[in-house]
Amino acid sequence: MNGTHLLEIAGASRRFGGVLAVDRVDAHVDEGELVGLIGPNGAGKTTLFNLISGFTPPSAGTIRFRGRTINGLRPNQVARLGMGRTFQNLRIFPNMSVFDNVSVGAVGTLPQGPFGALFGGRDRARRISERTWAALETAGLTGVADELAANLSYGRRKYLEIARALAMEPAFLILDEPAAGLNDTETADLAAFIRRLHAGGLTIMLVEHDMTLVMGICQRVVVLASGRKIADAPPDAVRRDPGVLEAYLGGDEE
Amino acid sequence: MSGFDARMRPLAVRAGLALLLFAVLPAVLAGFDRSYYYQVANLALIFVLLAASLQLVTGVAGLLHLGHAAFYGVGAYAAALLSTELGLGFTVTLPLAGLIAAVIALLVALPTMRLVSIYFAVATLAIGQMLYLVMLNWVGLTKGPNGIVLTRGLELFGFDLSGRLATYYTVAGVVALSLVALGRLSHSYYGNALRSIREDDQCADAMGVRTARLKMEVFTLSAFFAGVAGALWAHMTGYISPGDFDFGESILILAMIVVGGLGSLPGAAIGALVLILLPEVLRDLGDFRNIMVGLVMFGCILFLPKGLMGEVSALRLARQQFGAAWRRTGNGVGIGWR
Repeated sequence: MNGTHLLEIAGASRRFGGVLAVDRVDAHVDEGELVGLIGPNGAGKTTLFNLISGFTPPSAGTIRFRGRTINGLRPNQVARLGMGRTFQNLRIFPNMSVFDNVSVGAVGTLPQGPFGALFGGRDRARRISERTWAALETAGLTGVADELAANLSYGRRKYLEIARALAMEPAFLILDEPAAGLNDTETADLAAFIRRLHAGGLTIMLVEHDMTLVMGICQRVVVLASGRKIADAPPDAVRRDPGVLEAYLGGDEE
Repeated sequence: MSGFDARMRPLAVRAGLALLLFAVLPAVLAGFDRSYYYQVANLALIFVLLAASLQLVTGVAGLLHLGHAAFYGVGAYAAALLSTELGLGFTVTLPLAGLIAAVIALLVALPTMRLVSIYFAVATLAIGQMLYLVMLNWVGLTKGPNGIVLTRGLELFGFDLSGRLATYYTVAGVVALSLVALGRLSHSYYGNALRSIREDDQCADAMGVRTARLKMEVFTLSAFFAGVAGALWAHMTGYISPGDFDFGESILILAMIVVGGLGSLPGAAIGALVLILLPEVLRDLGDFRNIMVGLVMFGCILFLPKGLMGEVSALRLARQQFGAAWRRTGNGVGIGWR
């Protein structure tokens, strides 16, 4: 195995009772890539996502991130290693302002003891402010910085979640179904935004149920079905892959 | 560039409050020249500090804490015993009272912090009762229901501060300093990390916030300030007994931050002033005054769901706490603990 992969999943499995949700999956993400992870409902995408982000420990296998084994680390430890994420079912902090929401990403990845806040700590407050404003700017949210997050439209909340992850200044960003609930125009805007982030040097993994967004922007697509990896290739090859067509059509999806 | 600094209270407001606290109010008190007014002013200030310190745990970090008065009691007993048994002065007893309360809080926090929501609330209720029962029944140490009389007056670096005005200034000074510290903790990036725990602790975790550690820290810090408030109370009144620190007091402090609004430090101060001063103003009504106070709180919940200046509604927080007790989530979270 070479140690240059940013994220390396080796034989990862996860069992829930009698169900093998993820079955010996090998996959990797290299620095600078924009990778898609797709699969029909129940394919194990979310479980694999949770294994990567530390929400669920794997039953077997290892997950390495930036050369470190991250099996069994808490989500906040994984996050502080440089992994930012968003949630499938939007999880913003509704009773906080947009600025404060995004600042949590910056706080989370910097030293966060109380004594910095108590005694001086101007420097750290400034760094957090700067990171927060930079993330708001990238996501186009500077105009609503003082708005309560609960007052944002559904579409804007998606950007808020991404901005919060960007404030962590992550080395790797994983987006869980970012296009869910968006119409075609909004999805196209989002695709352009993700491409811009990627062009800025960020490594990104998209987890998507729907193929169109992933096929449009990703360099490489990993396909899961029934917990197993069935394809790992550029979009064009995946589109023609008989196994993938079988999994999607056979599962009477679309 | 706006940021956290721009979000702080403007300097003029702070200067105005300082002027009110250290010039206008003492002048008015001196004008009336009645001990009763001094007592009420000191009591109100001590409860402002208690409400502000509970605000950090319950309003900002969203942990329903039902035993805050017990740590207030620990501070008061620590100060009283250090003063009467060891003859230590106020300059030593005040910080030690805070530290002792904080250490006890840290010890009880270690096993309870993994409890979630309502289970945590019940645990704090139990801790509060345990500490109260220790104060009541460990007669050898605390003299039980008889309470402790402090023989030494208030003094600072050898200066006698037991006069009415000097006592007021001491209480006001300590409370003001503590409020500045609590303000920095709750209205800053640290406060935002705490708020993220209140809003969605799993999500905060994924953002890199060390939720378990932060909860423990904030519980301990809040007990420190409750202990300081206890020391002020002991030295101010010169007599303490367990009844001052029972469950009812915890609920009273909780009511203050609900009336003032969860999450806001000025809200906590205003809530404390309302619930301390209202019964005093209504003293002429006799027993009716308690009904009036109850009505104010009831009206507050009905018509001001977020209190006077709160960030979240008390009912939402309560629903969140109780709801979690029977909401099963799939992410390795068992029922009741994490």
